[in-house]
Amino acid sequence: MTCSALKVLSWCGAMAGLIAGALVAPTPSARAAGVLKVAMTAGDLPVTTGNPDQGFEGFRFVGWNLYDALINWDLSKSDRASDIKPGLATEWHVDPANHKRWIFTLRQGVKWHDGCDFTADDVVWNFQRISDPKAPQFFTQQFALSRAYLTNFDNIEKIDDHSVAITTKFVESLFPYDMSYVLMISRCRAQALNYDWTAYANQPSGTGPYRFASMTAHERMELVPNNDYWDKARVPKQDRLVLLPTPEAATRTAALLSGQVNFIEAPAPDAIPVLKRAAMQIVSNAYPHNWPYILNFTRGPFTDLRVRQAANYAINRDDVVDLVGGMATPEYAEVPPTLPYYGHPVIYKFDKAKARALLKDANCLPCKVTLAISTSGSGQMQSLPMNELVKQQLEDAGFEVTLNVMDWNALLDVSRSGVPKYPNVDGMNASRGLLDPVSAIIKPVATAYWSPAGSNWGHFGTPEADALVKQIFEEFEPEQRLALLTRLHEYESEQALMIFVVHDLNPRALSPKVHGFVQAQNWFQDLTPITVDP
Amino acid sequence: MNERAVVAQGAIPADSEVDGAPAIRVRGYWQSVLHRLRYDWVTLAFGVVVLAIVIVAIAAPLIAPFDPYQQSIVGRLKPFGWRGHPWGTDELGRDMMSRLIYGGRISLVMGLAPVLIATVVGGTLGVIGGFAGRLANTAIMRTMDVFYAFPSILLAVAISGAMGGGMINGIISLSLVFTPAMCRVAETATAQVKNLDYIEAARASGAGTLTIIRYHVLGNVLGPVFIYASSLVSVSILLASGLSFLGLGVQPPEPDWGLMLSTLRQSLYVDPLGCALPGIAIFITSICFNLVSDGVRGAMDVRG
Amino acid sequence: MLGYVIRRVLFAIPIALGVSVVCFSLVYLAPGDPLQTVLPPDATAETIAIVKHAYGFDRPIPVQYAIWLWHVLHGDFGRSIASQRAVTLEVFGALGNTAMLALFAAPLSFMVGYGMGALAGCFPGQATDRIVTGAAVIGVSLPNYWLGLVLVIIFAVEYMVLPASGMGQSGSAAFTLWHWSDAQFLVLPVITLAMIPIGIIARTTRAAVAEVRSQDFVTTLRAMGLGEGAVIRHVLKNASPQVLAVMGLQFGYLMGGSILVETVFTWPGSGFLLFKAIINRDIPVLQGTILALSLIFVATNLVVDLLQAVLDPRIRRA
Repeated sequence: MTCSALKVLSWCGAMAGLIAGALVAPTPSARAAGVLKVAMTAGDLPVTTGNPDQGFEGFRFVGWNLYDALINWDLSKSDRASDIKPGLATEWHVDPANHKRWIFTLRQGVKWHDGCDFTADDVVWNFQRISDPKAPQFFTQQFALSRAYLTNFDNIEKIDDHSVAITTKFVESLFPYDMSYVLMISRCRAQALNYDWTAYANQPSGTGPYRFASMTAHERMELVPNNDYWDKARVPKQDRLVLLPTPEAATRTAALLSGQVNFIEAPAPDAIPVLKRAAMQIVSNAYPHNWPYILNFTRGPFTDLRVRQAANYAINRDDVVDLVGGMATPEYAEVPPTLPYYGHPVIYKFDKAKARALLKDANCLPCKVTLAISTSGSGQMQSLPMNELVKQQLEDAGFEVTLNVMDWNALLDVSRSGVPKYPNVDGMNASRGLLDPVSAIIKPVATAYWSPAGSNWGHFGTPEADALVKQIFEEFEPEQRLALLTRLHEYESEQALMIFVVHDLNPRALSPKVHGFVQAQNWFQDLTPITVDP
Repeated sequence: MNERAVVAQGAIPADSEVDGAPAIRVRGYWQSVLHRLRYDWVTLAFGVVVLAIVIVAIAAPLIAPFDPYQQSIVGRLKPFGWRGHPWGTDELGRDMMSRLIYGGRISLVMGLAPVLIATVVGGTLGVIGGFAGRLANTAIMRTMDVFYAFPSILLAVAISGAMGGGMINGIISLSLVFTPAMCRVAETATAQVKNLDYIEAARASGAGTLTIIRYHVLGNVLGPVFIYASSLVSVSILLASGLSFLGLGVQPPEPDWGLMLSTLRQSLYVDPLGCALPGIAIFITSICFNLVSDGVRGAMDVRG
Repeated sequence: MLGYVIRRVLFAIPIALGVSVVCFSLVYLAPGDPLQTVLPPDATAETIAIVKHAYGFDRPIPVQYAIWLWHVLHGDFGRSIASQRAVTLEVFGALGNTAMLALFAAPLSFMVGYGMGALAGCFPGQATDRIVTGAAVIGVSLPNYWLGLVLVIIFAVEYMVLPASGMGQSGSAAFTLWHWSDAQFLVLPVITLAMIPIGIIARTTRAAVAEVRSQDFVTTLRAMGLGEGAVIRHVLKNASPQVLAVMGLQFGYLMGGSILVETVFTWPGSGFLLFKAIINRDIPVLQGTILALSLIFVATNLVVDLLQAVLDPRIRRA
């Protein structure tokens, strides 16, 4: 073969390639009808061994689908605040003779996915699994993930086959809310596997509306409907639920546009016009969320009230809202005005000059602070650009900010372990769920909840706060309690407890083939009523 | 990206038997190189571009139209020419042109510094290895072989990742990646020269080892080392931008081309062109260094 | 010949050991206490004691290395901090996915690169040569992950003919090569990954072919009356060793250097695993992945050297 022949041949080859490429029509891939494919912001699949990791997104897509708690959340309405409702317990009340003792009446006729019956012994076994290091079923990972909700848990005993009694360490009138975050797993399955948790993770068994079908580590999890679910109204209407961890907003958006998925969390706000043009449904709703910087009260510049106030005055919240394409509302206090105990808190309206004056007064100019942030995650919104904007705003007012960027799960560890383990972090940007008053305004200020035992990350503690909390916990009359909660909320604004930035509006994008989704005013969502056209 | 170091054939002048002090001969060789370059318009043209890029980067404060850190929420992801921004704005409203110009500084430093460090360190080790006895030679060269056994991006990511990212760690890890190759080039060149007659003659006339190295060896080693180093620069720029893209290089809000690609990626749909700009900058810089180094290598290759 | 083979294989062993030393020391490069880098954050005192004993963190460093090496040789790379699964499980699963990419990118880059290079080498200085060399230089100067992004914009978003990310419609576990619905996921990553090797192989082939063509023996062959075709065959055969060496290296690069491409396309291979291990500061997975990838690279180099010796008798005597 001569050189010139080589030349001719290669031309022919190139032409053939071009023609072949043009002729090959893209084959539409066979898509099963009724399969809901979800792209989550989580960087990895949430664990299936009970309480999930990856934050509330783990609960949203895995925890509440595979499992129930004694008390569940009502996720059926989008136009009112979401509250708790009976789950595996049909009724609960405090023992009138002993306010530290709660009686739970258990639901009858419930079966685990593996066929065993749900019994009172199962409930006792579950609590031991996450609280008693001497129990054979104790699992460190689950202990760490459930710890924040068991701060007030003392012990549990079976009364009879239909009820259990849980004793708390101190009187807490809002205790049932804590129990709405503790999921129950199957004792049958765990014992059959001899407490091999790695094996259990691949064959989880709960009472929830979905059964586990399959999982490819780091890539994909598939769940199928549990047709024997005890709540007939919530048996899933799709054929299959597929979960895909997709931490990058652009990748999620591309996946939705190309049809690889039909439901995405938190689309990139800039992409929303493009998604709308492609006939995607954009849904959003107010929900009890805040996006703040949680502060360190043991050491550092934020121990001074003036510095905290300065930081709040420095934030131009309208700009941040613009940055996320209007998918947020400005936040001036701990909870959004839609909650009943909002009251009349101090409002730190944007005032750069005032911020600077306060810093000068506090002798902290420039004020060096280190903030821990994440790259993505449940409720973290568009974390990186938002943090860069906030950093700029703080620095304009006289701060000197160092951002410590980490993966969401790593930030969650900072969050759970608290300032004892991370004393040099001055502030942490971790979004907060405000579903119940305890999580919303009590845990961040009470000394009983100091990390790592609870979620008072920065160890805030004053006699006034503790006194108020004690009063609230001992008040079982709802109206009086509401007045006390309002007072506590206002106190927290006076104290500039956190750097308040925005409340999220929880945007989601759905394919036009997805129907039936009701977006509750809650971090958790109910996927069961969703149907997908073929 | 991991070509074996092939010392350009004929980089050692074939006219080694010419009489006269070595210093004069070396100058003559370099003169002929320059002479050849003068007629290679391709290399000259791209050389001018490289120079322009470097000058623009150095003169950034004078040239950049805006402050590269100044954000503007109103002016996010705007197109070319919007309100005086020649190349539009990025996802936080910062001027793209200014960020690209300032970004050139960091990207060039992260591209050039590792090559410089690797040349000095690797070159020294190579000359020592080539000149010293068998034991030292084996020790040095086998250690280099171990590092050479890693694909470059893998080693760079591993070291940088373990150390926790950041610009300094990035430079350190890239230097570690390039040192073995430079060492090999220098050692091969030194070994080739070491046993030539005129070295024997110099030794016989009483010259110390250091003198021999300075006057006789260095001139011949510098050639291949310089060629190889110049070909490494474009690789280094690509690797450094890759590290930044993965989040292991500089941290925001520093402008760096790789980092800009990573953050602009999120705005792929609104502003695809803006997304492409840092990539184009990396490409142009890399290809110019590549072509200049090719041209210089061609000029230094006596056999042509 | 046998002597050369034995020498070359023996030579690879200390290299492999050296590679293991570098991997081992990654734990010490990481800031903070080495013990903390291999433990999950919520480890109990009991777990800490067990790990400390098993890995000998209270012993001198050379002893720790020996213990670590002992574990590795028995296939125990430790447990991933993030998932608590055995590192071996994670790494070998991911390696298979990267191998799938390499298996397609390698022949693509070899054939296209070699063809382009041979073409250019046959017509040095002419238009063909300039075009090919230009394309090759562009290939090695483009940041390949940027090319990947551009391809995603064009093919996945604008024209929607190819998927943007992932491996297969139903994930890597159910990936079936002969169904287009899964195989289409390969197209963009393979093209992106092959870009740089094409450039390098094209340049090397061109240089080798042009150089061999200018050698004396070619003139001799022509003088002997051999037709152009036969001459070309001789030329290509002589140019092969150099080209093969580079091809082998490029295959090693494809396996070990795919991290950027895999990140852009979210392809669940060893590069992506490495990337996630870095983000999660999951040092055991980091160590295991790098050790596996670099040993593959060492093995590839070994095979290439032996092949070269088979093809070029001059090397055997070296």
